[in-house]
Amino acid sequence: MRVLVAEDETLLAKQLIAALGRAGYAVDHAADGERADLLGHDERYDAVVLDLGLPKVDGLTLLRRWREAGQSMPVLVLTARGSWHEKVQGIDGGADDYMSKPFRMEELLARLRALIRRANGQSSPELRCGALVLDPRSGKVTLEGAEVKLTSHEFRVLSYLMHRGGQFVSQAELTEHIYSQDFARDSNTVEVFVARLRRKLGAGFIETVRSLGYRMKGDT
Amino acid sequence: MSAASHGPHDSDAPNSSHESPDSHNSPDSHDPRGSHSSRGSRGSHGSFRARILLGTALWSLGLTPILHILFLIVHHQLHRELSPSNVKTLLGFGVAFILAGIWQFRVALVPFGRLRAQLARLQDGSIERIEGKYPTEVQPLVNDLNSLLEHRERIARRALAKAGDLAHGLKTPLAVLAQEAEQLEATGQSESAATISAQVERMRRQVDYQLTQARASSAGNVAAARCGVLASVEGLVRTLEKLYAARALKIEVDVAAAHVVRGQREDLDEMLGNLLDNACKWAKSRVAVRSEAEGGMVVVTVDDDGPGLAAAMREQVMRRGVRADEAAPGSGLGLAIVGELAQLYEGTIGLEDSPLGGLRARLRLPG
Repeated sequence: MRVLVAEDETLLAKQLIAALGRAGYAVDHAADGERADLLGHDERYDAVVLDLGLPKVDGLTLLRRWREAGQSMPVLVLTARGSWHEKVQGIDGGADDYMSKPFRMEELLARLRALIRRANGQSSPELRCGALVLDPRSGKVTLEGAEVKLTSHEFRVLSYLMHRGGQFVSQAELTEHIYSQDFARDSNTVEVFVARLRRKLGAGFIETVRSLGYRMKGDT
Repeated sequence: MSAASHGPHDSDAPNSSHESPDSHNSPDSHDPRGSHSSRGSRGSHGSFRARILLGTALWSLGLTPILHILFLIVHHQLHRELSPSNVKTLLGFGVAFILAGIWQFRVALVPFGRLRAQLARLQDGSIERIEGKYPTEVQPLVNDLNSLLEHRERIARRALAKAGDLAHGLKTPLAVLAQEAEQLEATGQSESAATISAQVERMRRQVDYQLTQARASSAGNVAAARCGVLASVEGLVRTLEKLYAARALKIEVDVAAAHVVRGQREDLDEMLGNLLDNACKWAKSRVAVRSEAEGGMVVVTVDDDGPGLAAAMREQVMRRGVRADEAAPGSGLGLAIVGELAQLYEGTIGLEDSPLGGLRARLRLPG
């Protein structure tokens, strides 16, 4: 899962990026509205954490632009402006959730997980595929109750596939959602991650169909 | 919404429904100018002095034949000088001119009555500025009054914006500190972490409370406005449905579009937002918001089917202002802020048992 953090306050941005990274997300950062606009249009994000008081282009304008352009990724507004009038404006501008500063990181992570889950049509907080269970809250993967140790990239690949239920995900799409922007991408590495996942989980869970891509196989 | 407060010379009264039906689509819908155009006020009134002079001239002209007749009567020469039909004609002329003179005086004074009516409407928030054309002697006064109003409003808005900037400028550093505290907690320094967290929470409360106070005290200087309860409730319900999307809450709305309260939209949103948020927080599955008119007031009730609140606790919750640093987690300033704002608008807020089983908040505001 890949997340954009649009926040101009350097320290807070650092804290957000670190916390999101620990929670298993690939994170991009934009320190002003123009950069966020560019990234929001060019890249595929599973969620955006958006500060409203951004320099150059303010967050609300940005949000409206994205929505007008048909960008439907879930957006969590994180702002110093916490009056109800401003919350209504944020939600009417296209935000999916609204948190005012100061906030608890735990709550932000929980809300972000819920947004991503709902955007993918998942209703239960745990993602299941037969005996395989991925819990986005703890970042743990268990197979028949036993924990499976995964690297962060392996986790992202599995998490993205499981969020998409039984749908096929192309290699290009998978690449877009597991790497942050400043990472040298190589779609071959996706194959490597899938191969490693198969080795750790057993061959039966991830199906490959040439021209369509990958999907989780079995009872999701 | 009757036109009772309108002056007798408002020819636009029939069109002056306070809220246009689509007004809730616009965030600026509390601006009452749209529905109260000055177009209907009688055109230019010319000069007040000219009217008085004309009235005096007509009056004197009318008095002349009557005085003449009286003079003849006093000197017993009436029958010699004038035939009865001539007397009648002269009297007719005299009376007609006097009436015309009186009419001129009346017309000259009409703008003052209109001005009084406008001032009353200014005070109750139907209009933001004194509108219409006045006699040339009065118009400068009206203009001065309008620019004074504008000036005061600008100062109030600027002060409010400054208070807002200060508050919001503090929130981000507070967020950074709160995260640092969480980091400390994670590294085992839980005592420091708890101290910082508690102080951050106290500062946040101070900032929120003082910002509300600033907004409340400036509201008296910003031109009064009216806003529809329904528009505010609809926006808030849309918002709360997103914020509480994880829980299957049913928010029932039974608010009449005609119910309008005096005040800034931001403040009405803040009051109703806090009440609705509180209800959503505690509700098991149902929240209901209703409005009714009661005398000159609009009463909005917000109900939930949650656990309710013991009668003894209710007052405590309402008074939980900035001093409550022992506040339980999750118990915000919400209701205290509603209380402050309601008081400012000469309204009241009360907590009762709800027929839904939980708590009912009853907000009364002047309509």
